[in-house]
Amino acid sequence: MATVGAFCVTLDRERCINSRMPGKCAACVEVCPYEVFSLNGHNEVVIQNYNTCVGCRICAEFCPENAIRINPAESEMVSRYPWTFGTMEEIHHKALTGEYLLRGFGTMGPTPHFDNIVVVPSQLASPAPRDKYREECNMEVVIGEETCEKPIRLQYPLIFPAMSYGALSKEAKLALAIGAAKTGIMTNTGEGGVVEEEPYYANGFERPNRSRKRWHPGGYLAIQWSTGRWGVSVDYVNAGDAVEIKIGQGAKPGMGGHLLGEKVTEDVARIRGIPVGSDALSPCRHYDVLAPEDVKKQVDLLRDVTNYEKPILMKLGPSRPYDDVKMAALAGVDAISIDGLAGGTGCSPDVVTQGVGIPTIACIGPAVRALKDLGLHRKVKLFALGGMRNGLDAFKAMAMGADGVGFGTAAEIAMGCRGCMACHQGNCPYGITSQNPKMTERLDPEEIGQRLANFIKATAEEVKILTMLSGHSDIQELSEEDLRALDVNTAAITGLKLVGYERALPWWENGRPS
Amino acid sequence: MTHVLDAKGAELRPVSTQLRSMVQQDSVVVKNAAHLHGLCGGLKSGEVTIQGDSGDYLAVLNDGAVIRVTGSAGMYVADNMTEGKVLVEGDADYGAGQYCYGGTVVIKGSAGDFAGTMNKGATIIVGGDVGDEVGTYMVGGDVVIAGDAGRNLGNYLIRGNIYIKGDWASLGHNCKVENLAAEDSQRLEGLLAEHGMAGNGKDYRKITPVSDKPFYSHEEAE
Repeated sequence: MATVGAFCVTLDRERCINSRMPGKCAACVEVCPYEVFSLNGHNEVVIQNYNTCVGCRICAEFCPENAIRINPAESEMVSRYPWTFGTMEEIHHKALTGEYLLRGFGTMGPTPHFDNIVVVPSQLASPAPRDKYREECNMEVVIGEETCEKPIRLQYPLIFPAMSYGALSKEAKLALAIGAAKTGIMTNTGEGGVVEEEPYYANGFERPNRSRKRWHPGGYLAIQWSTGRWGVSVDYVNAGDAVEIKIGQGAKPGMGGHLLGEKVTEDVARIRGIPVGSDALSPCRHYDVLAPEDVKKQVDLLRDVTNYEKPILMKLGPSRPYDDVKMAALAGVDAISIDGLAGGTGCSPDVVTQGVGIPTIACIGPAVRALKDLGLHRKVKLFALGGMRNGLDAFKAMAMGADGVGFGTAAEIAMGCRGCMACHQGNCPYGITSQNPKMTERLDPEEIGQRLANFIKATAEEVKILTMLSGHSDIQELSEEDLRALDVNTAAITGLKLVGYERALPWWENGRPS
Repeated sequence: MTHVLDAKGAELRPVSTQLRSMVQQDSVVVKNAAHLHGLCGGLKSGEVTIQGDSGDYLAVLNDGAVIRVTGSAGMYVADNMTEGKVLVEGDADYGAGQYCYGGTVVIKGSAGDFAGTMNKGATIIVGGDVGDEVGTYMVGGDVVIAGDAGRNLGNYLIRGNIYIKGDWASLGHNCKVENLAAEDSQRLEGLLAEHGMAGNGKDYRKITPVSDKPFYSHEEAE
């Protein structure tokens, strides 16, 4: 179950068609996946149980008279915190069922994030600003240029991180592939095997024989090699343009993928090789990595079976970013993604998503220092993931030293998600995280792929604006000097100069904690 | 004709490149390969004999080749195999036959801990003893053990069978012991005979899953 009692549901009976003419309209009753509304014996719509409302707002979308309001119970968050209604309901739930809460999405509530950092524009004392409208800005990121026969050339410093088929619908996976193709960026299979059309769609081709390029300029597909190894074979490993070894993720570091039986349909079960309806709970670690040196052996063997052509990537959860990134780089990968605390998921125990892992802004600095200490910064590409919302977040992460960023949750929102956090139940009324044909038929991969492309293009433009107004014409020129921390806490965590003080805090020396 | 490839002191890439080209024509014997990890990865056909011991991840992602080790295999032999056969005359170290979707792994000697973990459809036959946690979270296929097993055998078995002749230190969760049906013992005898291993199928016991939904989604949730 998702968060309980987080929303107030209001029905304006003046506007509601059913209130005026019982039996005439019951769209809300029909579309709500959680039985918030029901019809009574007189065919009148009643709010049966507002506690089950997850805030997906599909009822409001379908209401022809705009009669429904879904409001978060926010005021109570202030007046009764920490004993909010939701917290109390969670305790009741555990007391009644003996089961802890599972949910989708990422960390909620305030944690150190990019919002307490500002961008420093150029005026007189630094290189003059560049003109966004009339001058060029290089945004390309190349992965595996010196190590692979087929390096990846991302048109923008943005990627769609791993989200599996199973967690997402086939339609959503294909929308991501089309979105990547239309923007020249990379999408990722996630750990649930590859959807048949995904590799050629991601490259921009409509047909498997790649006879006609439909979506330009064409993007890339990373194939994930994860701990459950669902649907993995030599053909799978070679189906895309890169292979990503998943070590962990921000939403549930130290645990493996969770796909509840509700979403394990015949097709998902076929690809994963498990019984229909059986939970696919990936191991928390690779069973075939007993010692740290085995990670390097896996990088080597994946290079070998992909004929030394494709970049090998690695995805890390937010644990000990300096040491983890150092080990990943020493294992010989071409790019590393580090997914921070706020990273999202399709399903995870609530306490893990809420309280486990290091915030993204605290991961980037140590990760960059690890690569610098090895002389590999900008050679081994670094992608920051976890709670990225827009070009402003992306710019800040890149000025802190990342080569690019990933948009997972934001991509889902671009597809239509309203953040109800109930991805794990498989009822997503927008068809994104559902395997129910009734829901998934609402998602047209081409239409939604265009939305994703629009989101990426607009976001890339934001990155470009910020890059140029701070005096640069290449994203690789960005540095921490382009940022300031707004408060002591953020300055202490990141080593950025504090506004007003115009220096890093005293315990930072030459960009490092002393 | 058999090609002989001496891998002494060589790195994976040149040996692998040569091996891939040779194996398309004839069978290949590789000597001095114990230092190479991930050899014979993703082969779709051909016959390879590793003379002596092998390194780790031998025949990873094997998709149809027949690979024999005359000595012992390192860790994770036949990792993530989908088709073909891997035959180890000696022992196999930790994690033999993990993540396999298909094919056959035969280990004449003993196998270490976590053998057959997350097996999804392969047949894994061990002539000797096996270590702890063998067959963990198996979702398909068969594991045949002629010797004894360690602790937590078949932990969270979801689908597939474990056939064992000897004893086990402890059984994992979601497992139950069954007697062999006539067709089971016939099949077992066939398998053992096929790989030159003696044994009477009737001497084995069969371990099967209790439920295929032992975690969050239970039967009543359907």
